[in-house]
Amino acid sequence: MKSLASASWKAPLKFRMPTAENLIPIRLDIEVDGQRYKDAFTWNPYDPDSEVVMFAKRTVKDLKLSPGFLPQIVQSIQLATFRSYEGQDMYVGDKIVPIKLDLRVNHTIIRDQFLWDLNNFDSDPEEFARTLCKDLGIEDPEVGPAISLAIREQLYEIAIQNVTSARENRLNKKGRRAAEHFPISKASGAALDLMKLFSFRSSVVRKRKEWDNYKPILDLLSNEDVDALEAKEERSGL
Amino acid sequence: MAEKSPVKEVAFSESIPISNSNQLKQSPQFSAKLTTPTPPISDIPSTPTSRLPPVDADVIHVPSYSRWFSWDKIDSCESRFLPEFFDGRSSKGPSLYKYYRNSIIKLFRENPSRKITFTEARRNLVGDVGSIRRVFDFLDHWGLINYSASSALSKPSKNTASNNKSSDSPSLESPSTAAPTPKQSSTSRRFCGECKSLCTIACFVCDKYDSTLCARCYVRGNFRVGLSNADFRRVEISDEAKADWSEKETLLLLEAIMHYGDDWKKVAQHVGGRTEKECVAHFVKLPFGEEYLGHPLSDDAESGFDPNKSMRLTPLADASNPIMAQSAFLSALAGVEIAEAAAQAAVNILSKIDDTTASRGGNGSLERNAKQESEISSNGDANQNALERAYADAKSQLDKEEQDIERAITEITEVQMKEIQDKILRFEEMDLLMEKERQQLESMKHLLFIDQLNLSFRKNSN
Repeated sequence: MKSLASASWKAPLKFRMPTAENLIPIRLDIEVDGQRYKDAFTWNPYDPDSEVVMFAKRTVKDLKLSPGFLPQIVQSIQLATFRSYEGQDMYVGDKIVPIKLDLRVNHTIIRDQFLWDLNNFDSDPEEFARTLCKDLGIEDPEVGPAISLAIREQLYEIAIQNVTSARENRLNKKGRRAAEHFPISKASGAALDLMKLFSFRSSVVRKRKEWDNYKPILDLLSNEDVDALEAKEERSGL
Repeated sequence: MAEKSPVKEVAFSESIPISNSNQLKQSPQFSAKLTTPTPPISDIPSTPTSRLPPVDADVIHVPSYSRWFSWDKIDSCESRFLPEFFDGRSSKGPSLYKYYRNSIIKLFRENPSRKITFTEARRNLVGDVGSIRRVFDFLDHWGLINYSASSALSKPSKNTASNNKSSDSPSLESPSTAAPTPKQSSTSRRFCGECKSLCTIACFVCDKYDSTLCARCYVRGNFRVGLSNADFRRVEISDEAKADWSEKETLLLLEAIMHYGDDWKKVAQHVGGRTEKECVAHFVKLPFGEEYLGHPLSDDAESGFDPNKSMRLTPLADASNPIMAQSAFLSALAGVEIAEAAAQAAVNILSKIDDTTASRGGNGSLERNAKQESEISSNGDANQNALERAYADAKSQLDKEEQDIERAITEITEVQMKEIQDKILRFEEMDLLMEKERQQLESMKHLLFIDQLNLSFRKNSN
């Protein structure tokens, strides 16, 4: 068994999103007095908390929602979970993770899969989304934010997993040597992929049969299709 | 980039407001390119359509204070108000700012008769909602979006406070009106100059610029450039009612000033029902014609004054010192030579008086002069101060020399102490580094041990 520990043990960092800007994704789905408000956006947690209230007020005013939405929105912008993680450490090994997109935004369906480097703290999902939309010629301006949000959500999940795994390691009393193995073994299939991909046996070029997986698929729906899909989602309780 | 429709600028007329000329002072603080909006006339007629051109579907109106805007360039006021995009720390760069700004404005201009809401704008933009909101607010305030002729008059000039250390939010301050109507001070109902809400319990009045803020705006720091918390005084609404000076009281006040000159105690007694402070404050606030009456400098007794001339001359006034303002105004009216001659005569007489008191007083002359000085300064006659000030200056210079020497000595000792502290810090750091290295070595030792174990296991298993 090769010892991977020497290659990839890094000092633990404070919890943060592995992107250039520490923005967290927020998804809201509130129902008050028969009005339903669904929304998703990115939020900067370093904004003062007064921003939450101001944002909620503006949204209620702009969308003409009933004022009962205001406290709900304020509560739902759940910064509490972020803050609870904020002080913790997380281990970041050599992780390249696959990110999958499977979204429907108004009339556009986009499906895509690509690899994302968790160690790159300069990465920017927003820029990726902007470039993707421009390259694919997507005209609907709401698709970009949805893409960047999906990426951020997945990165957020992974970051949280890293924190919990780091926490478990510390509680683990098997001593330091064993602890160093854990992040490596727990680093799901992704890290091992890395070694397989970039080892001397295989080449960096992707195999042909995997090409279709990694291509973006863009679909434009007609109005009826959209209605049908929405009805299906409502029924399945999304 | 070619714009879809021509952009017409709506310029407000540039008349100077009647109440205070001090708003003009704001322009040196902004760039010379007239980024300061001109304050609206206080007597804006209630029907807007009669004054402004009708809204044209093909023409986009942009207020004159926003004429710096261009699609490709970023103006200095933008980088000032939205610094997060222009400092190097975060990855948000000027190009990102331009992307947000241009997309929001494009979105608005697609349908200029309709106001766009922030939620629509942010739905279409990739990025974090906080910064998008700030850009949106900025554009909104400067009239680049959601600006139409009918709403133009409800959005008067904008001045944002740049000295907001008290407020913690990085967002823009809400716009403030530059010139509250002069009628406001005469009525007993106070409206806040910022949020236009009725002030209930207490309000904060700034005498410098004659503006009123409700308690909320004061606390939030919604005041203009150049003001700080200390410039405002608290005014309770309950005693606003009796703060309005009736004609009779004003007459009494003026009479008293004529009789007693600068003795405010007697003036207050004469007026009756008003404290000294109130008398002084009200006297200062009276229009210039009346302030004439009590002033010893002027030799002319013009009953009225040319309003145009006074308008032109008011910029000379330094409003922070009302007495200086008076004398500056009067000397300007009277003409340079006359004012000079009058001042010279006054100084001569003062020195003569001083000599006589000095010869009479003997030892205590300096002290008496100092006392006189304080009396006089409290009465507020600037010309008699000159001689006393000279005496005080000499003394203070001597004191200053002593203080300088002491300061130099303390500085030297401080520097030495700092050196020692730095050295200690440096050593501590080195200690830390050594500790870290030691730990690293230990971990490497462990790794080595693991490798050896593995090797031996393999050997044994084979």
